[in-house]
Amino acid sequence: MENRELWERLNMDLDKHDEFLAPVPQIFTELFLNRENRPAGMGYFDAVVGDVHGIRVHELYAMKETGAKVFSTFCVYVPEEIVVATGSASIGLCAGAQFTVPSGEKVLPRNLCPLIKSTMGFKLDRICPYFQVSDWVIGETTCDGKKKAWELLNEHIPTYVMELPQKKNEKDARLWEEEVREFASFIEGETQVELTKENLAQGIEKINNKRKALQRLAELRKHNPAPIHGLDVLLINQLSFFDDPVRFAAQVNALCDELDERVKAKVGAAPADAPRILVTGTPQPLPAWKLHALIEKAGAVVVGEETCTGERYFKDLTEPADTLTDMLANISKRPLKVNCACFTPNQGRLEDIVTMAKNLKADAVIDFNLQFCQPYGVEGYFVGKEMEKQEIPFLRLESDFSEEDQGQLMTRIEALIEMIRG
Amino acid sequence: MRRAGLDLGSVNTKLVVLDQEERAYCRVIPSRFDSVQAGIALLKEYSQREEEKIDKLVVTGYGRVNFPEGRVITEITCQGRGCHEDFPEYPFILDLGGQDAKVIKKNSVGKIVQFIMNDKCAAGTGRFLDVILKGLDLTSAEMDLAAEAKPMAINSMCTVFAESEVITMLAKGVPKPEVVAGLFKSTAKRLANFVQSMGQPETLIFTGGGAHYLLLVKFLEQELKGSIVIPSEPELTAAFGAALLA
Repeated sequence: MENRELWERLNMDLDKHDEFLAPVPQIFTELFLNRENRPAGMGYFDAVVGDVHGIRVHELYAMKETGAKVFSTFCVYVPEEIVVATGSASIGLCAGAQFTVPSGEKVLPRNLCPLIKSTMGFKLDRICPYFQVSDWVIGETTCDGKKKAWELLNEHIPTYVMELPQKKNEKDARLWEEEVREFASFIEGETQVELTKENLAQGIEKINNKRKALQRLAELRKHNPAPIHGLDVLLINQLSFFDDPVRFAAQVNALCDELDERVKAKVGAAPADAPRILVTGTPQPLPAWKLHALIEKAGAVVVGEETCTGERYFKDLTEPADTLTDMLANISKRPLKVNCACFTPNQGRLEDIVTMAKNLKADAVIDFNLQFCQPYGVEGYFVGKEMEKQEIPFLRLESDFSEEDQGQLMTRIEALIEMIRG
Repeated sequence: MRRAGLDLGSVNTKLVVLDQEERAYCRVIPSRFDSVQAGIALLKEYSQREEEKIDKLVVTGYGRVNFPEGRVITEITCQGRGCHEDFPEYPFILDLGGQDAKVIKKNSVGKIVQFIMNDKCAAGTGRFLDVILKGLDLTSAEMDLAAEAKPMAINSMCTVFAESEVITMLAKGVPKPEVVAGLFKSTAKRLANFVQSMGQPETLIFTGGGAHYLLLVKFLEQELKGSIVIPSEPELTAAFGAALLA
């Protein structure tokens, strides 16, 4: 089946979709393909982007033909192990495009997080094949904006909401475990596949292997010169949410083998004296590449992301267990180690930032906040204070998915680099 | 040897040329939406008037990336360097330019240790003041009266909303000097908060075109409960710093 035929079957707005995809090849060529010193192992990920609304959508469509379901998520807290165990697909949806923000604003307040507006716009405009191929959206109660937006989204696609606690005490852990068990029953009902200790053990292993591969890639970035551009790793992190987990892990590991060789040979993607930047804050979902692209254009290299499109997604593994009950308990434990600003207090995040900055030998930290994101915006105060205490040069940036503030952002980034270089 | 700093700003373009460490030549012209052309014109004018050629050039300001020559350094670093020359003892700088406002903290050797800039809207920038003041069409007598007037509270900080708030006040018969005083007072409050989000300076260096508004300086001192020092030509410090870095 040709892509267009598939998109038509998925009830997409083909004209609008053409308009959306038209500039992508040029942007991708400029930002990625034309850069020097990229590892050959990026070829796979480049090819995925090259047909970003094609091959993987065909796979998902074919899975559905055999009776599987597709569940779409927007948060690293949603336990994808459970979905994968049943032979269905869990995909993280793209929500980082300015193109769909105006449509989102038709039903949402303008002064709302661009990620939520972009998500809503993708559905209303019918230009995301992943959304169109999905049977369910799995939402969560991380922030007020998302929590309420699920109610609107539910008018367009069935939306299941997991209640994420706001604190990390024992009774919160109990609530979350209950939520995970309920979710498991829901998935069993929807997929008509019973969870067993065999299939869930496999689900845990598949997702753990994906996380391990991403951990290995993240760890390689501590070397100087940095063996890979930060923008390339961001792309891999973004793609990790919707590619087939087994194939994806194999490709990341193959890339890491190549990077191991680079490290031995002291070959870098950036020069050894390039300032090393750690990015923290709100996520950069596909195709939000602006921040990394600007930082690296200014001559620095991004060596880590303390974000949900980075470390928070893969830093913890799910402990294996012998019984189904224990497996579900362990699945519920992992996300509560993730330090998102939606929790209070969230001291653990400050420790994560400092540990990462030291391990990655970062010269400075950039705290990036998507406009109107309240939890991360407010928490920025503590991040700033901690960076001052640790004497780590620090810059706070706020932006959205639009292109027009690149000049202002660049001035701030360049000034930070001048500050580091003295 | 002559070193030059060219500051390509959104409103004005400035050139400072140093002969050794001394200022030998300074010029300011309006950018007229094309700071690059303004910068080229300034350099041309310099070469026609002066015999000694420029050996080293640093360009800064928002037009710096498109300028065909010179080494590029951001206005934050240049501003810090320029201010440090005149005021090495004070760490905090507030720069109120046409397009942005920034607070810079430098250490005892003039190295920048921290900076913040306003977000992407015009609120609290020189442009905000210009737009409203232009709309008021003041006589110099009215401007003088503003210094003594009771400031009328202006709550909107969005340039467009503030303008309509001002229009509403005038329609209600509020005297212009009170509106002007209110405008400066509300801007001073906002700028003071901006400074205090970084620290609590006893003495603040105030630069940029905004430092020419004496009433703003007065209100800012009140809000900060501190003193303000202003370089002799506050719109030139970034260009001066650029020349020192050349």
